[in-house]
Amino acid sequence: MAISTAPDAPCVIGNQITIRGTLVGEEDLLVEGRVEGAVTLAGHLTVATQGIVEANLDVDSVEVRGEVVGDISATRSITIHQGARVRGNISAPRVIVHDGAGFRGSVAMTVDLPEDLAKALARS
Amino acid sequence: MANTVIGSTIVIDGEITGDEDLVILGTVKGQISLRENIVVERDGVVEANVETATITVHGSVTGDIQATDRAELRAECRVVGDIRAPRILIADGASFKGNVDMDG
Repeated sequence: MAISTAPDAPCVIGNQITIRGTLVGEEDLLVEGRVEGAVTLAGHLTVATQGIVEANLDVDSVEVRGEVVGDISATRSITIHQGARVRGNISAPRVIVHDGAGFRGSVAMTVDLPEDLAKALARS
Repeated sequence: MANTVIGSTIVIDGEITGDEDLVILGTVKGQISLRENIVVERDGVVEANVETATITVHGSVTGDIQATDRAELRAECRVVGDIRAPRILIADGASFKGNVDMDG
């Protein structure tokens, strides 16, 4: 019956848990279960192999090993690992897609375009 | 068995359902339906109706609690709402306002 309640326990959504709604926070989060809705996190989000996230994500950084359906916006990086499945548009300064990852959607990185190309785009 | 932990900076507005233990150090608004144990830690805030097997409150709960096994209000907790459970414990120092029903 005793539940460990260490004050520095990492924030975990266990694999038998479903959350529907909005989740806002300022710490790292591990999702092993299911989250539907929206996640806004000033921290690192990990979607574990069995984790399912059907939500738009606004995070510092995210690492996907499970499934994400929704748009992802990260201020630092998005990593999609082997075996992960991601459907949605992703945007971050750094996007890493590993061999064996499943991804469908658009990618937007902040890239410095070559000068002439940037000028051409600006004119059009 | 893996616990679910809602960290101290986390705010969830919506519904939590599931089959495993839940520790709340942050804020949950809406609805919680579990068949396991819930612990609301000292700084945890729950503004939700709660259905569970057992609940232990060190923090704050606003909403009705329905436990199939036991509800424990520990010292320094603040609970506003109706409680329905076969076993209800209220510790010295707990603050509670609401109805208690142990029959149903």
